[in-house]
Amino acid sequence: MAVNPGAAGGWQRVLQARARFVFCVMALWGVAIAGRLVQLQVVDYGFYVERAEKQHERTIKTPARRGELRDRDGRVLAYDVAADTVIADPRDLEDPPGTVRRLCAVMACTADRRRRLESILARDSAYAYVERQTSPRVAERIRALGLDGIDLIKENRRYYPNGSLAAHLLGHVGVDNQGLNGLESLHEETLAGEPGRVLVQRDAQRQAFRRVERRPTAGVSLELAIDSYIQHIAERELRAAVRGHDAEGGSVVILDPRTGDVLALANEPTFNPNAWSGAASDARRNRATQDVYEPGSTFKIVTASAALEEEVVRPDDLIDVSPGVIHYGRRPIRDIRNYGSLSFADVIVKSSNVGTSQIGVALGAARLNRYVRRFGFGQMLSPDFPGESRGIVHGASRLPDGDLARVAMGYNISVTPLQMAVAMNAVANGGELLAPRLVRAELRGGAREEIPVRVVGRAIKARTAAMLTRIMEDVVTRGTAPAARIPGYTVAGKTGTAEKLLPGGGYSRTNHVASFGGFVPSTRPALTILVVVDGVAQFGGSVAAPAFRRIGEAVLPHLGVAPNLDGPPPMLVSAEPASFPAMRQRPVRWEEPAVAAGSIAAASGVMPDLHGFSAREAVAVATDLGLSTRLGGRGVVVTQVPAAGDAITPGQALTLTLDRRAGAGS
Amino acid sequence: MLEQRLYRHIDWLLLGALLLLCVIGVAMIYSTTYDPTTGGASPLVSTQSWALALGLLAFAVTLSIDYRWFADLSVLIFLALIGLVAFASMFGIAGGGARRWIDLGVFNLQPSEFARIGVALALATLFARHRRGGITVFERLLAVLIIGLPFVLIAQQPDLGTAVTLLPVALAIFVFAGLPLRYVGILIVLGTLSAPAVWAYGLEDYQRERILSFLDPEKDPRGAGYQQLQARITAGSGGATGKGFLKGTQSQYNFLPVAHNDFVFSVLAEEQGFLGVVVALGLYLFVILRGMDAARLARDRLGMYLVVGIMAGFTFQVIYNIAMSAGLAPVKGLTLPLMSYGGSSVIATLAAFGFVLNVRMRRFTN
Repeated sequence: MAVNPGAAGGWQRVLQARARFVFCVMALWGVAIAGRLVQLQVVDYGFYVERAEKQHERTIKTPARRGELRDRDGRVLAYDVAADTVIADPRDLEDPPGTVRRLCAVMACTADRRRRLESILARDSAYAYVERQTSPRVAERIRALGLDGIDLIKENRRYYPNGSLAAHLLGHVGVDNQGLNGLESLHEETLAGEPGRVLVQRDAQRQAFRRVERRPTAGVSLELAIDSYIQHIAERELRAAVRGHDAEGGSVVILDPRTGDVLALANEPTFNPNAWSGAASDARRNRATQDVYEPGSTFKIVTASAALEEEVVRPDDLIDVSPGVIHYGRRPIRDIRNYGSLSFADVIVKSSNVGTSQIGVALGAARLNRYVRRFGFGQMLSPDFPGESRGIVHGASRLPDGDLARVAMGYNISVTPLQMAVAMNAVANGGELLAPRLVRAELRGGAREEIPVRVVGRAIKARTAAMLTRIMEDVVTRGTAPAARIPGYTVAGKTGTAEKLLPGGGYSRTNHVASFGGFVPSTRPALTILVVVDGVAQFGGSVAAPAFRRIGEAVLPHLGVAPNLDGPPPMLVSAEPASFPAMRQRPVRWEEPAVAAGSIAAASGVMPDLHGFSAREAVAVATDLGLSTRLGGRGVVVTQVPAAGDAITPGQALTLTLDRRAGAGS
Repeated sequence: MLEQRLYRHIDWLLLGALLLLCVIGVAMIYSTTYDPTTGGASPLVSTQSWALALGLLAFAVTLSIDYRWFADLSVLIFLALIGLVAFASMFGIAGGGARRWIDLGVFNLQPSEFARIGVALALATLFARHRRGGITVFERLLAVLIIGLPFVLIAQQPDLGTAVTLLPVALAIFVFAGLPLRYVGILIVLGTLSAPAVWAYGLEDYQRERILSFLDPEKDPRGAGYQQLQARITAGSGGATGKGFLKGTQSQYNFLPVAHNDFVFSVLAEEQGFLGVVVALGLYLFVILRGMDAARLARDRLGMYLVVGIMAGFTFQVIYNIAMSAGLAPVKGLTLPLMSYGGSSVIATLAAFGFVLNVRMRRFTN
């Protein structure tokens, strides 16, 4: 030993030296540890936090309840139901082949499915679907197996309780409940809601603890303008027309003339959105908004509107349409026969191509096109239809007379059935072009936010609309569409029979797009209906007009629209409102004579006093008297023309002004 | 026995630091074993608390009685401890692959934890005996026997980890008794040179695996590298300020095995972050340096050797355990004295510090 520890004071010196050494070692160690921890906890902090979180927690999104789709009366058209989905954590499987065997015993796998399952469970991933949205029975049996690494989660599955009803409007959803078509896809963000977050934490033994981080927010529900009943009628009658005439397809659009509400929109062929994947893509197409067709004669209302509004012609002006053929451009334009000379009104009533094309050429391309635009053609009208077509409208500069003459009669222009219906609707409501409204309101929690009616613009003056309405009434009463007559109601409409363009050029004589568009009752329209049947040999008046009639017959009573024509034999009504309730209790059955013989004389004699009546009561009385009613304002009757006690005859017009305060007017 | 005069010289600062570390330890044990589903504390917490109480009792004994009285009885104490270790090896209960505990009914005693005190006491007594002249060959042989006997006994339990903690005790006393530093240097060089041979022939497969996995824990993250990797994730994910008390996910969800024991420091790093680590690190450094101060102040060589031996054992464990927790050393089942769960360890450590304070307190007495 170099240092003698026995020497006096020697050990203290050794100690001093060694102590310094120890101090240095400790200081080094302290610095090293601190440095290392700075590296771990400060520099690489993010990396390790992620590692720690990855191994002990996983965030699962819990699906939000998708908003419902309801009709205008709140009937549910689409909603979510809960379904079990079988998931697996392949890394957690003790015995993958055994697991596949036991799962397959429950799920009744095919050999192919078994192979797929084997490959899924062999993957090195933490999450795999075994079966999406399985049946409750299979789910129950899998739960009973209690397999390690196999779990069941709740998923939402979209359900359309009415099957194919309004399928093209609603659309459908994919397996992840994302909208794929129709309103489901257009309003995806609104409907989808916001998924919730559940934090699943697990320990080293893979036991899981769940904590809800955020609850899912349910999607917003949409209230559609659709009336399920009307939609059903429209689909039924369209199907009958298409099948009955062996047609390729067809569309029906029904609008509310006052609001532009789409009361129904049907297409044939159609599909069931609950099983959409099995449907042909042809059946899933919303023909009424995505397909264009040459409208043919129904389009003459646009030409007529322009001519009347621009005062190129008056309804009574005579037009020479002999000899039933006229030459514009390369090919002649023909009528079905030589009418000789027709009033302008009759040109439309008889649907004379020769007459209409002359009017069109007289108008000129610029003026006609202005009205084409005003009626909404060549533009998209609504945000509620995905893939809506604009149609094809040629510019005025590219319309020589030959082409212009054909545009006037509804050829050389392509429109969608929806556009045609909207144009018809503008005539019905006195000239205002209303955007078709499919979504009427958003239902957000308890609140209902109405989507306002959108007036695109004025297509024609009210006076023009009235003149055109008179002409369109004649189309039904004595023109091309007697089959569109609806007993008890005045109907205005226009037929259309467009020859379909042949692939090689030229038009087919035997393959038509037959259509009828019109509104009812013409004096105070409640419905605008367009029926288009594609690929038939017959004409619009014989294919589409009957469908129009049957729809009208079924829907008008449903809407409570009183007949305005050939009403029930009028009955004696006391001028005293006090006696009114007794009368109202009678069922309104207009086919049979209501009261005894003397009533007709009495009715033709005196107008009762309707002051203080509600609109509904007053209309009921007027209907019973055979009067057609025009209403203005809201509330109770304050003025009436003719006045109480005046002589009246059935069919006469009764104009009522209503106000919230009784007695305000007179 | 404990006169007023002596009482004034108790190193209250050191005692305070010791107790603070013990309290932090109990808190961390509570946190790691806390069951979030029942919200109840684990029985480990009360066991540790009782051990702490017993440890303070032992501390009072080793502090109050003059260390020279213990030195006079050092042979007896040493042999008694050797006997207990041998008894544990033969009749004790096994756990963790080693037979090292004696069942006392209330709790299990691990005599090997106390062996360090016996070795330190015996060696200090041996080297302090001669005031004049060098150390005889017989004494050197005796010294080797004093360290060798318990080492072999504990190593065959087999508990190599605990056995190894005896070596720094002896080495420190040798060095402070005058073993030139160059011998230590030679030892280090020899160790380094023999490393490949040891690697090839001296180590079991699992030991080689442990060292390899220390170098690259990602190589086998679910096997050999698991603990190492989890220790790093645990400390690293704590960040600067920690996840908060009872909020440690690594330890509470058992990703880090025996967190309350070997990796209690990692838990502290996770829940209290770098700030908590710095506090604990500071406390340990204070305890170690203050202990060295006690050696410096010792009134005789006996006291000095005793303190040096005890502090060397303590320091070695602290250095190794914290380095391991920080991912700077291969995983080895060494506890962190004062903080780790373990009744025998707490009692033995506090009893040992009783001697340290004893030496310092009696630095003016004759």
